[in-house]
Amino acid sequence: MSDDGLNPTVDRRRFLTVLGVAGAGATALSGCGTKAKKLISYLVQSEDQVPGVPTYYASTCTECSAGCGLHVKTREGRAIKLEGNPEHPVNRGKLCARGQASLQGLYNPGRIKAPMVRDGGSWKEVKWDDAIARLVAAIQKGGAPLAVLSGAGRGTFSTLLADFTAVAGGTVTRWEPLDHVPMREANKLTFGRDELPAYDFASARYILSFGADFLDTWHSPTENQIGYAQSHGFHGDAARHVHVAPRRDLTGLNADEWLAAAPGTEAAIALAMANVVAGRRGGAGAYASLLSQWTPEAASKASGVPADAIRRVALEFAAQSPTLAVAGGIGSQHRGAVELCQAVNVLNAVAGNIGQTVRFGADLASGDGLAGVQQLMSAMTAGQVGILLVHEANPVYALPASMKFVDAMKKVPLKVSTATYLDETAAQCDLLLPNLHSLERWDDANPRAGVFGLMQPVMEPVFPVRHTGDVLLDAARKLGGAYSKFSAPDYKTHLRTAWNAHTASDAEWRAALARGGVYAAAPEAPALTPTGAAINAAAPAFDGDGDFVFLAYPHSFLHDGRGGNRPWLLENPDPVTKATWSPWIELSAATARRLDIRRGEVVRIISPHGEISGPAFPYAGLHDDVIAAPLGWGHTEYGQFAKDRGFNPLDLLGAPAAGSAFVPYASTRVRLEKTHSYQEVATTEGTPRQLGRGIAEAIPLVYARKGMTVREAMHAEGHEEHEVNTELEVKAILGWRERQVEGRKLGNYAEVHPSWGMTIDLSRCTGCSACVTACYAENNIPTVGEDQVLRGREMSWMRIERYWEGGEGEEPLEARFVPMLCQQCENAPCEPVCPVFAAYHTVDGLNGQVYNRCVGTRYCSNNCSYKVRYFNWYKYNLKAWPEPLDLQLNPDVTVRARGVMEKCTFCVQRIRSAQHNARLEGRELQDGEFTTACAQACPSDAIIFGNRRDPASKVAQSSEDPRAYRVLEELNTRPAITYLAKVLNQVEA
Amino acid sequence: MRKLAFVAGGGLIVVAAALMAWGSTSRAQQATGPAEPDSIAATRLAASDTADLLGPRQPIFFRHDLHAGQYKLQCQYCHYSVNVSNEPGIPSLQTCMGCHLVVGGSDKGNAAEIGKLRDAWNKQQPVEWVRVHFLAQHVHFPHSVHIKALGPNACATCHGDVNRMPQIHKVNNINNMGFCISCHIERKVTRDCSACHY
Repeated sequence: MSDDGLNPTVDRRRFLTVLGVAGAGATALSGCGTKAKKLISYLVQSEDQVPGVPTYYASTCTECSAGCGLHVKTREGRAIKLEGNPEHPVNRGKLCARGQASLQGLYNPGRIKAPMVRDGGSWKEVKWDDAIARLVAAIQKGGAPLAVLSGAGRGTFSTLLADFTAVAGGTVTRWEPLDHVPMREANKLTFGRDELPAYDFASARYILSFGADFLDTWHSPTENQIGYAQSHGFHGDAARHVHVAPRRDLTGLNADEWLAAAPGTEAAIALAMANVVAGRRGGAGAYASLLSQWTPEAASKASGVPADAIRRVALEFAAQSPTLAVAGGIGSQHRGAVELCQAVNVLNAVAGNIGQTVRFGADLASGDGLAGVQQLMSAMTAGQVGILLVHEANPVYALPASMKFVDAMKKVPLKVSTATYLDETAAQCDLLLPNLHSLERWDDANPRAGVFGLMQPVMEPVFPVRHTGDVLLDAARKLGGAYSKFSAPDYKTHLRTAWNAHTASDAEWRAALARGGVYAAAPEAPALTPTGAAINAAAPAFDGDGDFVFLAYPHSFLHDGRGGNRPWLLENPDPVTKATWSPWIELSAATARRLDIRRGEVVRIISPHGEISGPAFPYAGLHDDVIAAPLGWGHTEYGQFAKDRGFNPLDLLGAPAAGSAFVPYASTRVRLEKTHSYQEVATTEGTPRQLGRGIAEAIPLVYARKGMTVREAMHAEGHEEHEVNTELEVKAILGWRERQVEGRKLGNYAEVHPSWGMTIDLSRCTGCSACVTACYAENNIPTVGEDQVLRGREMSWMRIERYWEGGEGEEPLEARFVPMLCQQCENAPCEPVCPVFAAYHTVDGLNGQVYNRCVGTRYCSNNCSYKVRYFNWYKYNLKAWPEPLDLQLNPDVTVRARGVMEKCTFCVQRIRSAQHNARLEGRELQDGEFTTACAQACPSDAIIFGNRRDPASKVAQSSEDPRAYRVLEELNTRPAITYLAKVLNQVEA
Repeated sequence: MRKLAFVAGGGLIVVAAALMAWGSTSRAQQATGPAEPDSIAATRLAASDTADLLGPRQPIFFRHDLHAGQYKLQCQYCHYSVNVSNEPGIPSLQTCMGCHLVVGGSDKGNAAEIGKLRDAWNKQQPVEWVRVHFLAQHVHFPHSVHIKALGPNACATCHGDVNRMPQIHKVNNINNMGFCISCHIERKVTRDCSACHY
């Protein structure tokens, strides 16, 4: 974890990429027939690389503005897996699906492979010197100045970019599509602080979310999820969570109660709740008169949410302390988004949360808002911009088409892009200076006050592209004059000099590199008093006069569209709908019934500004007046995986008014037209309901507090025992057990071995699916594509099953998430049916699967009660990883070929590797020394893995929990995975 | 099990290095003379003589029989990661040049081969050795654990008497699972499929 490559003259890594030692077996092929025929030696042995042994480097994730810390696992000089950095204060060793898929960005076939200039309608590759000379010549020419549009990343590079642009007489506009501008605006108004606070979900005892998808796409999701699992997960008690929004997103599905507010009326509810809370606790202060107008009845009239529900929730909220209310997500970003955030600020203030769970001073990184982009566009249109440099931004795709950014670009003589991938904006440019991926370059990030994360090149660049910092410094050298103050020979030296502020000595710098940065303690959170700025909680305006309000929300994995070129993210099912590879159009279940629209029927959605069409997806977690669709789809460029995939919902939006701080994603009314055609939605959902199978059990909080089991709670609720085994069945079960005891006396089985097991706590699992991507990355699981998913052939060894409960009539809809992977049954149904003993029970309690033995009869899969065996139908291994994506493959895991059944074996390669290490060191394996990829990634810590035979292990102890149950236990499969029932925090009558 | 043909000793590397340094002097003839009955007579094999030898011809006629046999270099001197990793490691050119910066070869044939090595080093071009021992990709063989269990000289168990091989060739069919299993049965160690196959 140390390398810093301080001496640039010794090019240590150059030959790592071509190192062909015996372990380089993970080509995209498998089987005995394909062989690496050459052994290519190092020229100079690298000090920190031993073939066959992974080397970890600390780095920082750049996939969203949260700035989580990474540990990059490299083997033989290439990054093969991303894990969370346990020392990092934001993500504490955990990593979301998007962060992990950053690897597929590194090895993406859609990367720009060299600098290019536009040559008529096509691109011409040029040398780097030539490319930089073109930029320099344009700057030297003078005339209209340089303007820069960059992402909102904050760090040494953004300062360099701003300083460089200032010397050139231009300005930098920092913009992020899904930025939290309404929150900042509201904080400025309510508290006079133009910043984003951090939230302490872990200490909150009651959580209210107003359209803020804090577990998935908003704020700092991994950090929030870690805290949420601590408070909302069962720990003797559990915090209650109520979601107020027109749509239940993943956060909404985790909430214990959903108040389906009409779009734009969340602020009224927040104020009414603040009114009730102030009535109970006092402290309305400057807002006393405003709050008195917003009675629960008034809010109910506006929003359609029953007044007594508003009052009850508010009273529950007032009775607990500390609590937390959050707002400002994209799902509630209508024209009244600032007012909503203001109202929630007041609610937090009267509940006494400011300085407790709402922690100002953290100052999370954020951009300049949309107004800056609008100013830039008008300057471009007026011909006042000579050179437009676009860095880490894709405005052509991520701004509504009605804003006509492309037209403004056409007025600029030279458009330059530093995009790593050929995105929609880069495609409109004249000069491409592709930047290195964040895993290939020196850089840093300052995601919040006191946290400075470092990035270091973990491998040689996949393509010979150049760091934009180096490009700027090179250009400065060529320009001379005022630019000569940028005197560093390269960006790394520049960064090191800038870091003298944090790490004075080289020893400190190395320590910072090893830790991934420097982390100051979180600043003291001030207790602020609201200023009393007026809040206009009247419902905002919507364009047009359609029947429905259109709501565009960020896709869980594609985010603002940047995830669209990564197969892992496209195939990871959306946690709510379980749809993959293509977008869908959500309408409420009642609306669908009323209009007689079934899932998959293609509907056309028409707004005053445009139209989209796609398959309908009736969803019970949607307000009846709303139609919703995920953002992130419908790219027209951005590589083979992203291009031409569905529609872009931004097409429905009008251009925001001049001076708007943000794009109001819910600002237009739409009408719906049937098209009478059909397009199946590629969901991985099987049966949406449990049908009494007891797969995802739950227990009401009152009974969980008393330490009751699920069965005891059922009896207490008046349910009767059903389906008791018959005498014959009991006899058979006992017979089985006896034979198992016999079997345990044979050969290797007679010795004492560990017995690997797992506990999954459903009260902590949020369904975020980070584990799914971790499994794909660790185990070389191929993505199969939409066509194969439609045929039910996805290979996800680990999947998140989502079951609906209730949702009919008066009963509220409830979602239950169950991570489903091989249960490693002791009495496994798959094993005895394998004619070739490919499926067998290992001595350490795994359902082994010997790929080279498997002949593909698929009997095991047919006999599996959990459907966790996956058959490789085609040569997925040849199609899933087009070059250079195959460089990501884990060399410790066989790449399976066609005709082989594959499955989870608790990351057996990690088990063996830990056992080997322990043996080399002559010691016993320790509990917690290693874990599976899914458990390691899980931000909620819902998954515990270990040796069940060790009574001191966490897994053995947690399986004794009263909430423990095993899925389909009555089949006598004796699974090694124990689930802990979800805890239902219902309304107490 | 085959008897191991060479003796381990911490000081041997030093001795071998000294021997080679000596060999580069004018008294090369004596240095390369038969040092002990074990070493083979044909020390002056040149690359052109490899036609009759087993195994694939390598880009440089590297003589394991000289290095490991006659000079008694420990296997781990070059295969440096064999006791810490699944992979034995192949030496970097720098490791070769550690000696061959000085050792230039006792005769024309050897000097020509060492010349190729120096050439590659000067051009900073890695040597592309032809791989001899393949293991199917669905098998995972941790070298380190086997060295730990069987001792540092266990290489010959699978790779044969490398110290008598002018050119490396396969002695045992290591891809035949029976070869692995017979040893595992003999030593009463695991026969669990998932010990190697995953």
